[in-house]
Amino acid sequence: MSNEMTLDKAQTSETEVSAVRAAPKKRSQWAEVWHRLKRDKMALCGLAILTVVVFAAVFADFIADYETVVIAQNLGDRLQGPSAQYWLGTDEFGRDIFARMIHGSRVSLLVGVLSVSISIVLGGSLGAVAGYYGGKLDNVIMRVMDVFLAVPSILLAIAIVSALGANLINLMFAISISSIPSYARVVRASVLSIRDQEFIEAARAIGASDFRIILRHIIPNSLAPVIVQGALGVAGAILATAGLSFIGLGIQPPEPEWGAMLAGGRQYLRHAWHVTTFPGLAIMITILALNLLGDGLRDALDPRLKH
Amino acid sequence: MKTVTKIAMTSVMAIALSACSGTPEQDTNTLVVAQNSDAKTLDPHTTNDNASSRVAAQIYSQLVEADEDMNIVPGLAASWTIVDEKTTDFKLRQGVKFHNGEELKASDVKFTLERMIASPTVAHITNAIDTIEVLDDYNVRITTKEPFGPLLHHLTHTASSILNEKAVLEAGANYGQNPIGTGPYKFTDWAAGDRINLTAFGDYYDGKQSIENVVFRNIVEGTNRAIALETGEVDISYDIEPIDKQNIATKDGLRLLEDEALSNGYFGMNVNKAPFNDQRVRQAVAYAINSQDIIDAVILGAGRPSNSPIGPKVFGYNPDAKQYAQNLEKARQLMAEAGYTSPINTSIWTNDNPVRVQIAQILQAQLREIGINMSIEVVEWGAFLDGTGRGDHDTYILSWTTVTGDADYGMYALFSSDTHGGAGNRSFYSNPRVDELLNQGRTSTDPDVRHAAYSELQALIQEEVPTITLYNSFQNAGMQDNITNFKLSPTGHHKLRGVEFVEG
Amino acid sequence: MHKFIFKRLILLVPVLLGVSLLVFAIMSFTPGDPAQLILGENAPAPAVEALREEMGLNDPFIMRYANFVGNAVTGDMGRSYTTGREVATEIFDRFPNTLILAALGTIIAIVIGVPVGILSATRQYSWIDSSSMIMALLGVSMPNFWLGLMLILVFSVTLGWLPSGGFMGWSSLILPALTLGTGSAAIITRMTRSSMLEVIRQDYIRTARAKGVAENVVINKHALKNALIPVITVVGLQFGYLLGGAVLTETVYSWPGVGRMMVDAIRQKDSPTVLATVVFLATTFSLVNLSVDILYGFVDPRIKSQYA
Repeated sequence: MSNEMTLDKAQTSETEVSAVRAAPKKRSQWAEVWHRLKRDKMALCGLAILTVVVFAAVFADFIADYETVVIAQNLGDRLQGPSAQYWLGTDEFGRDIFARMIHGSRVSLLVGVLSVSISIVLGGSLGAVAGYYGGKLDNVIMRVMDVFLAVPSILLAIAIVSALGANLINLMFAISISSIPSYARVVRASVLSIRDQEFIEAARAIGASDFRIILRHIIPNSLAPVIVQGALGVAGAILATAGLSFIGLGIQPPEPEWGAMLAGGRQYLRHAWHVTTFPGLAIMITILALNLLGDGLRDALDPRLKH
Repeated sequence: MKTVTKIAMTSVMAIALSACSGTPEQDTNTLVVAQNSDAKTLDPHTTNDNASSRVAAQIYSQLVEADEDMNIVPGLAASWTIVDEKTTDFKLRQGVKFHNGEELKASDVKFTLERMIASPTVAHITNAIDTIEVLDDYNVRITTKEPFGPLLHHLTHTASSILNEKAVLEAGANYGQNPIGTGPYKFTDWAAGDRINLTAFGDYYDGKQSIENVVFRNIVEGTNRAIALETGEVDISYDIEPIDKQNIATKDGLRLLEDEALSNGYFGMNVNKAPFNDQRVRQAVAYAINSQDIIDAVILGAGRPSNSPIGPKVFGYNPDAKQYAQNLEKARQLMAEAGYTSPINTSIWTNDNPVRVQIAQILQAQLREIGINMSIEVVEWGAFLDGTGRGDHDTYILSWTTVTGDADYGMYALFSSDTHGGAGNRSFYSNPRVDELLNQGRTSTDPDVRHAAYSELQALIQEEVPTITLYNSFQNAGMQDNITNFKLSPTGHHKLRGVEFVEG
Repeated sequence: MHKFIFKRLILLVPVLLGVSLLVFAIMSFTPGDPAQLILGENAPAPAVEALREEMGLNDPFIMRYANFVGNAVTGDMGRSYTTGREVATEIFDRFPNTLILAALGTIIAIVIGVPVGILSATRQYSWIDSSSMIMALLGVSMPNFWLGLMLILVFSVTLGWLPSGGFMGWSSLILPALTLGTGSAAIITRMTRSSMLEVIRQDYIRTARAKGVAENVVINKHALKNALIPVITVVGLQFGYLLGGAVLTETVYSWPGVGRMMVDAIRQKDSPTVLATVVFLATTFSLVNLSVDILYGFVDPRIKSQYA
């Protein structure tokens, strides 16, 4: 059940301490990981889906114009079913659901990636500092993290957004805050496992500063578990965004967001099932892709865990 | 594998079966009513929201009541005499019992109204009252500070329900969950967030109801309310969503009631600010708006265009006041006359209510046609009230419900020079003639004089348009066919007194 | 062991203080004046100011927080701004609804997750394994509020078999419990499978097999017991999450539980209720986690010895 990864031996070959370390690699670690990932069909499938979603987000404006299609109301065509003109039908304002879903991917990916990055940076640094220095500092940091962990993350995010007001920035902030502790824990655990290893001591011996040791040695060596956690974290953040928007605390209209879209269709469930169904499918497929990729990355980064 | 699957299957089946056996049965002793939120409190002096009033309306009675056409009829007061223009004497029915067994006395009326005047939430309904005097156990005299024409209308309000002094004092802070009234149904228990149970009151002054139990269920989602009605889980469902109306109206065994309510939605302009200080610009705006578009798209047909700040069911309504219809040519001409030939930038304030935000979006598009570019400022409710109270805004969207069914309530706060800002006149409109008419309507006790004053007033407002009434709202309820005597009250606080199941 | 439980309970105190401080601070930043909210938009300014003073809203933050904690310790969580009702009473009125849903959801998750997980592990790489793993992945990936709506669409709207929301008899438990159970079932399936696989590869299982013990005996008697230990943790954590985080499902089904109470309170800016519900749910969540740790100690003697 250990979460520690076995990758702490690479990464630093170009630095002065690499000579101290055992078993230098022939192939770079990341090439190795990619090589393993390539053989995992499920992970590749996830990667492919994700590429499509990213592509849709990047080129959304070429697929459907924001002003004239995505937010423009067309009240004559309300709640139309899927057709040649509207591939996935229209919503309660006669807007093209397909176009809105394409544009909605921007919000989801943006919030997903940015909020996870924020929590990785903040949580990671806290975890690294706690793990590296230990003692009182460790105790204080981790007790504060416990406070955050004591509240189910969705509750915490809801409370924060409701206090600060519902908009994109606050949403990202709330979601990242609530997942900081898990990154802090992961990084701390892996720091603890390598803190006392020889190559760190060697670095210390040749007079490297704490900051440099953390930055150059500790952090790169705890990247693997963070990456796995991050891939799953993006999935979690997208789900949280959708959930908050669903209860009206997320992205505000007319901006398209998957959770808000399906919430809007809720009262038309019996007359226009497509309004709720398709945005939900978009969420599910994106999360599925991230989960597939996350699983694949975990296996690729730590072959020992692969069954 | 097989055993495992079997175990899983049987467990799931067992859960499903045990669950199905518990389905509630239909009975004609219990009337189940669904509404879209739970009551907050059943103390009528601490809240003014619909969901609470709709339950309170069954538990309490008022001195006088309004029928479904908003005519004043006797309630707890069997009769009343207008002594002079400030004084009215009420003769109470004798032998009326509260749910706790106490008899209704004039002292309860005094206690209730004084408590009401002291309550910031509802004081505005009765603050015209100066003193309440107990003449004897069954006679009470109400004196107003100034002559006050709409007094009786104000006493019909659900907030003016008569409470029992002893019960209120005994329950203290918990009175809202232990209400005692004189109404046809008494409170039994409350599963917060889910349902409130009432039972018929045996000693109700007008005779015990034939339906033994009434259950108010909180079903937030419109779809779910419609489904619950269709499957027979509920007997009456308030506020059917527009999209479900057709289904309910055409389905065998169900009926849809729909009627005009006392509410409207309006667009107001701050007349202290250019360009809205110019009457021609305001008229141009009125000509630029197509309110039918708003009705169709935002409230989905549940309303109709309006020619007055008050609706046809309100006392004092003038059917001949001016009805604006979209006329862009005329609008542009008025803008030109006012000297605005190039586009101007201004803003529209709304709170985060989705209906109002959608209206703002449509108004934004419609006014762009005549060269008024509006940015939409969506502000939080508290900030909205503050800002529009101070006059920070250019224009705003709001709604108003004339709960008393009298023009005074519908227009005084909105158009008087006394009520600028937070007191209700968020357009900061002033017109001496309007003030004069408002006072005439308020202080006269002669219905004909009042009606004439209000008719002229509406004509004036529609000419000077400090606010543009976008629509008068409809309200509805869906119900099972086997229910009779259920009527919609224009106030929205429908009374279940007399509702029965027909033998089928 | 007692010492361990005691220590953990003591540790809970600063955590709860922290949580309440956090939420209290958050709610204090919320725009909107509670006094104005209570009195309504028609209330005159002096009345609002008087109520502010009476409620202690003009006191410094620290004093207000200290008051809150002082009252909370005696079980007084204040009164709701919107209903005037004691918040603690309402939470306890509603908690059984949340509890029964979380319990049923967990039972469904176990009933589906554990057998399917074992099956997958014992038939690794078979079609059963791959299809159940795909199902599990879908289950993990599905937003539960969406699943809830889809179940309503199929079972209430289309088939008309089950009620779509609210609490009316036992039949209204089925859909919300299924909705809650699905995600957890998926997680438990995956956990059971990987834990089982790990155990199966251990030496003692190989030995048992080599000795000719029948396969189902190997699985049921030797492997299962050890494989289920980590599963218990996951089940416990899931139960905690379902108790504390069923907000969205409760909203979808208009379920009168504590989660929806919180969401409603947030919409109405009813801070005492928000504060009390969050602190309550966090406490419940932490207590469930603690119980899981203790239980874990009982089932795994290796861990138990650490507490001694």
